Amino acid sequence: MSSPTALVADNLTKIIGRRTIVDAVSFSLDPGEVFGFLGPNGAGKTTTIRMLVGLIRPTAGSVTICGVDLRRDFEKAMRNVGCIVENPDLYRFLTGRENLEHFARMLGVKTSEIDRVAALVSLAHRLDQRVGTYSLGMRQRLGIAQALLGDPRVLILDEPANGLDPAGIREIRELLRRLARERGMSVFVSSHLLAEIELMCDRVAIIHHGTILREGPVRDLISSRREMEFRVGDVARAAEIARERGLTVRADTDRLWISIDENDAPPLVAAFAAAGVPLFHASRRVDTLEEMFLQATGGETVD
Amino acid sequence: MLNLIHNETLKILRRRRFAVVIGILFAILAVVTYSQYRQLAFRAQRNWRADVQERIARGENMLRRGRINQNWSQSVRAEINRLQFYLDHDIEPNRPTTPLFVRNFANVAGFLLLPLLIAILGSDIVSAEHAEGTDKLLLTRPVRRWKVLSSKLATLWIFATLTLLCGALMAYGISALALPRRGWTAPTFTGFDFSRGAFHIEAVRQLPLWKDTLIAYGLEWYALIAVASIALMLSVLFRSSAAAIGTMLAALIGGTILTRISPDWTAGKYLFVSALPLADYYSGSPPPYPDMTMAFDLTLLAVWAAAALVVAYALFLRRDVFG
Repeated sequence: MSSPTALVADNLTKIIGRRTIVDAVSFSLDPGEVFGFLGPNGAGKTTTIRMLVGLIRPTAGSVTICGVDLRRDFEKAMRNVGCIVENPDLYRFLTGRENLEHFARMLGVKTSEIDRVAALVSLAHRLDQRVGTYSLGMRQRLGIAQALLGDPRVLILDEPANGLDPAGIREIRELLRRLARERGMSVFVSSHLLAEIELMCDRVAIIHHGTILREGPVRDLISSRREMEFRVGDVARAAEIARERGLTVRADTDRLWISIDENDAPPLVAAFAAAGVPLFHASRRVDTLEEMFLQATGGETVD
Repeated sequence: MLNLIHNETLKILRRRRFAVVIGILFAILAVVTYSQYRQLAFRAQRNWRADVQERIARGENMLRRGRINQNWSQSVRAEINRLQFYLDHDIEPNRPTTPLFVRNFANVAGFLLLPLLIAILGSDIVSAEHAEGTDKLLLTRPVRRWKVLSSKLATLWIFATLTLLCGALMAYGISALALPRRGWTAPTFTGFDFSRGAFHIEAVRQLPLWKDTLIAYGLEWYALIAVASIALMLSVLFRSSAAAIGTMLAALIGGTILTRISPDWTAGKYLFVSALPLADYYSGSPPPYPDMTMAFDLTLLAVWAAAALVVAYALFLRRDVFG
């Protein structure tokens, strides 16, 4: 028998006054899966997360965690969840260790757990200093350590890369992937950065104006928009060469955008060189989220 | 639940709220002790019987002129009778001693200082969690909201009790340095009954001071538990601790002023502030409204506390936590 779905959000809706902030959002997480929740600020990401963890009562819809309805048995459902909502706000006047002890006492978890989770996020050396002296990156780590207390089945993290330096982002990304792979933990990660979601997640849902525009495996959503940018000496000639090879080309005065995968670029570059077109710069174009939305909404504005 | 109370206690102590309260108590007690010490030196040169007789004469003059309202004249008459009682029994009223100082601390601090300190302790117990964003973690742990709020209420009650105890101990410790330390067994008079404007001498009982002190502190404790419950509600109601402290301050001072300036507006007796000086009423101060009995005061405070808790729980259990 397969294990039950880790988290199911069914038809989640939140209406405040006349404004519909979240409109019939549904998705589910399987065990061992890293799920990305992508959307710009104000899209309803945080409201959705607050409904997932019981901070906000949904106007309609339900949340089920490891087979337990959140509204029906809050304690049993939340025992399976570790989370950070919005900012990793912990008690600044307590030390990192005291914070972890505080939440360990709420869970009834042994204090020996504290050293284990602190080591996981590489925070052991600063654990006995006051959180008020921590940088945002360290508070982010402490928040994740707190979420890992009690070995939850589901991890819900809101913008976990905020405040981390690139090395830190990479470290946390690897930690989350490892937890999903080795312990079968389901990880829900929200972000407004496409690149981050792309590197970390198996599956992604894109939310905008309170509704999910698209949902699917990360590769499917992103590979359809592979494009490279070339800065060349002779735009007209270069465009001609690319078109001859059956590629789609958009041109500007000093550069072109060609729909080509990085792996297929070297032959094209060789062709430019053979034709005497000077090439100054070539790079993979990173899609901006805005363009993703334009694509997801068929190029129309969403308003 | 003990784990939760442990957490709340840690937070109050580490926020330094209790240290502030103890500091304020220390400063005030030190100043008052010094003034009592000076008073002691001053009294030694005077004849207390003459003083008491003069005060009685002044009161009688005031009544004879008759330009004061009904309530006020009743309380003046009561005060005259009380002083006469001390005179007849040859007991010097209010001679400063350490035991009397501890006893009077309950009366004097009971209706403004201690409730205010409880407000300082209690006002941010919920609101600070919201202001600092930690409520998002506190309320997403597998602990139901009513348990979280109950642990905060229990912690507040514990600290209200501690504040009163520390106040009493400090009043003893500080005044013992400057005032005579003996006198726990000195007779005190209680049961002054001013109902219907008359002084009923048959109700007066004599108690040793230590017994009288215990009763006064018991009453004061009851009042502070009610204040702590109201402070919890304010902390749930307001998102900032400054607003919560301010509201409590306004209620305490406003209520006190109201009962002084418009004693004829009898609905004022239903304000919780009117019932706060329980210990004071018990030791013979006439209440601002003649028909306030001890039973009425105790019931009034219980009703206010219960209503405050109903509001606090209803709101805390149901509300959405936004950023």
